[in-house]
Amino acid sequence: MAAELETLDEEKIQYIVVMIGSEQYGLDISVVDNIVRMQKITRVPKAPSYYPGVINLRGEVVPVMSARLKMGLEEDEITKDTRIIILRLEAQGLVGILVDEVKEVITLGESEIDRSNQNSNKQDTTYINGIGKSGDSLVSIFEINAIIDEVEV
Amino acid sequence: MDVSQYLDIFIDETNEHIQALSDNIMALEQEPENKDTINEIFRAAHSLKGMAGTMGFKRMQHLTHDMENVFSEVRNDAVKVDSNLIDILFKCLDAVEGYLETVKATSDEGTEDNAALIKMLNDVLDGNSGGSSDDAAEEAPAAAEASAPAPSADDAAGSEDPNGTNHFLALKLDDEGLGKLRSAVEDDGLKLYGMTVHIQKECLLKAARAFLVFKALEDYGEILIYDPSSQDIEDEKFDLGFSVIFASESEDIEAIKTSVLAVSEIEQVDLLPVTVEQYEKAAEAESEAAPAPAAEAAEPEAVAAPAPATAPAPAAESASTPAAKKAANKPVTTRTVRVDLEKLDALMNQVSELIIAKNSLVSISSSSENSSGGLDTQSWQSQIEYLERITTNLHESVMKVRMVPIESTVNKFPRMIRDLSRKLGKPMNLVMTGEETELDRTVVDQLGDPLQHLLRNSADHGIESPEERRAAGKPEEGTIFLNAFQEGNNVIIQVGDDGGGINTEKVKAKAIERGMVTPEEADNLSQKEIIDFLFMPSFSMAKTITDISGRGVGLDVVKSNIEALGGNVEVKSTLGSGSTFTVRLPLTLAIIQALMVEIRDEKYAIALGSIQIIEDISIEDIKYVEAKEVVHLRGSVIPIIRLDQLLDFEPLDSEPSNLTVVVVKKGDLQAGLVVDNLIGQQEIVIKSLGKVIDNNKLISGATILGDGEVAMILDVNALM
Repeated sequence: MAAELETLDEEKIQYIVVMIGSEQYGLDISVVDNIVRMQKITRVPKAPSYYPGVINLRGEVVPVMSARLKMGLEEDEITKDTRIIILRLEAQGLVGILVDEVKEVITLGESEIDRSNQNSNKQDTTYINGIGKSGDSLVSIFEINAIIDEVEV
Repeated sequence: MDVSQYLDIFIDETNEHIQALSDNIMALEQEPENKDTINEIFRAAHSLKGMAGTMGFKRMQHLTHDMENVFSEVRNDAVKVDSNLIDILFKCLDAVEGYLETVKATSDEGTEDNAALIKMLNDVLDGNSGGSSDDAAEEAPAAAEASAPAPSADDAAGSEDPNGTNHFLALKLDDEGLGKLRSAVEDDGLKLYGMTVHIQKECLLKAARAFLVFKALEDYGEILIYDPSSQDIEDEKFDLGFSVIFASESEDIEAIKTSVLAVSEIEQVDLLPVTVEQYEKAAEAESEAAPAPAAEAAEPEAVAAPAPATAPAPAAESASTPAAKKAANKPVTTRTVRVDLEKLDALMNQVSELIIAKNSLVSISSSSENSSGGLDTQSWQSQIEYLERITTNLHESVMKVRMVPIESTVNKFPRMIRDLSRKLGKPMNLVMTGEETELDRTVVDQLGDPLQHLLRNSADHGIESPEERRAAGKPEEGTIFLNAFQEGNNVIIQVGDDGGGINTEKVKAKAIERGMVTPEEADNLSQKEIIDFLFMPSFSMAKTITDISGRGVGLDVVKSNIEALGGNVEVKSTLGSGSTFTVRLPLTLAIIQALMVEIRDEKYAIALGSIQIIEDISIEDIKYVEAKEVVHLRGSVIPIIRLDQLLDFEPLDSEPSNLTVVVVKKGDLQAGLVVDNLIGQQEIVIKSLGKVIDNNKLISGATILGDGEVAMILDVNALM
């Protein structure tokens, strides 16, 4: 009963849950354009180290970022579960993010997300803006704008 | 009538007229007595006024009307051309341009009345020729009266289309038409008039003109017969003339004619009384030859006469206001390219060929399906070659369509230099060559600002004062030049002057003063490095800040603007004899011919336009100059750039004894790029790398190869 009332009261947002390293992260589904399998990434010389390069996404050249490298984790390990999440952002256009695995889509309301994000000595805290509770597990919610920062020219 | 659909044409044409006026007024200043120039000016001013009136831009019309009055007096030798008058006229032009900008942004002319300018113009008229300006003033209300609110315009329903000639006397009417004429004469006691109106060849808004003619006629009576039909006239489906028969109480033929002629861009009006019998007879005996043409009474002068054509204004105004309101604040953003019909024809032909090529491919593949022998590789191959040729041609044609001469951007500069010359009190002259050089439309549009900066820079900093010039043994009048030409896949625009040149000592001192370098470092800087300081943000050399330049928002903006267009800027300067800024721009933006090369397992593209030669050199031929690798080739010493090191590759275990070197050039500079392997020439489509990793000067973009792989495009200009 209480849950039903909640659905009426608050707006719920869908998140795509992905694995990066051993942790689960959530990406707001509204910025996700699509998800593609791992494919050949062409290196771009002199690009920031956390950008392994670019891919050919149906005739468009799309830069791909490694979430692991950006967050200071060890280098990606390409497996059959590796995916590239293509984000469509207003300022930056299409950008891909390399993740280890795509798990599921969850729906969270604001009340299910813990915004009090106190453990700030961990390196990746600046990239997440809250922790959602999905069943028994915890999902860190990405702050997209912090992860894909615009490159200062 | 909704005139908003004409807005684009209006903006285009007004720009042209303003440019024509500006050019001719410049010419007039040189030769105040040249009648041809004056007539040219008069025509442009008149068209400008007429168009503003038609579109319902009253303020703009008012200003151009007063300008026209002044030109008219100049033509009649009543006003002498002096630099004061030229200044006023240029200010007026600026104001008209201001109106146009407002129109572009909001579809409305705004509320600036420019009363001060109008007063200045009238002072010119009063001061020199009170009498004739009075005439003009008297005529103005008269014409305005003629156009007083038209009586409720009932759409004369006569839309039958007599398959007649342009001439009203030769109209062949059917029974319905004749009946209408008869009832007008017999029942209402009106007089019948036939009229043929000829519109000027150059007129673009023919339907609008016709509409205004009809409006004017409706003051006198009712139009009974249209030829072509009123619908066709509205849709502009007529040549340069149309005929009407109308019924009126008035017997004053001249008055009717005058009010029709008051509509601008009407070349000639033939007007005669007609009778029903005439047309009955004509209908009976259709074979009867057309009667002698009516007296060609309309003096061509009448069109261009000083009598102001205010008639269009109220009529068009009332009709366009709602439309303008509707569109208000909506910027007119469409950008157009005028395309030579020949270019389009070529395009069309190539598309047809493309279709033929596609069909051949289809037939080859279906015939190979039928015969079990697999693909006929030879015909397959030849078809692919054919297809390749077509796509190359197609690309060329499309690029040509996008190309426009830089003229449209640079032709405002002579005027600017004239103004600067007067403002700064330094006589100077602008010499331009290569205005016909073509560039991609998007590049041309964005070229204006940087070039303007460079020219202002030359005028303000480059050219010395007349006294200094005399002392240096140079002619008092300074020369600023702008040369444009094509070089390979680039267009080069040089802007420079014969002034004092850049005093590198001063620049150095300034840089030290600003703390950009230490005095010790400064001593080791090369000439070029010192000049590069000028391109730093907020680095100004002007001793005093003027409103022309010296606020330090100059050259760094130029540089970033040009670089945003994929180009670069270089400076050459000789103390005492001037400086030259060389702007290098890519010819095309989207597709280029490139050489594909391999470095380890990665593929890179190098624009073919910048490649001079490809050499195999032996490792022993490499010499060292200042600890840098160079090679001596055909009399020139070329620095070697190891692309693998530059692009962060792991070094090879053992260096091969022969290197493949691609020699590229940028202006006079050359460099040899060492690659592992050549793949071949290919046409590539340039794609952006996206904003997040586009901070990379070495790579100008990426392209997608035939197998779907992505390859980086090396920016040769950034390598050197």
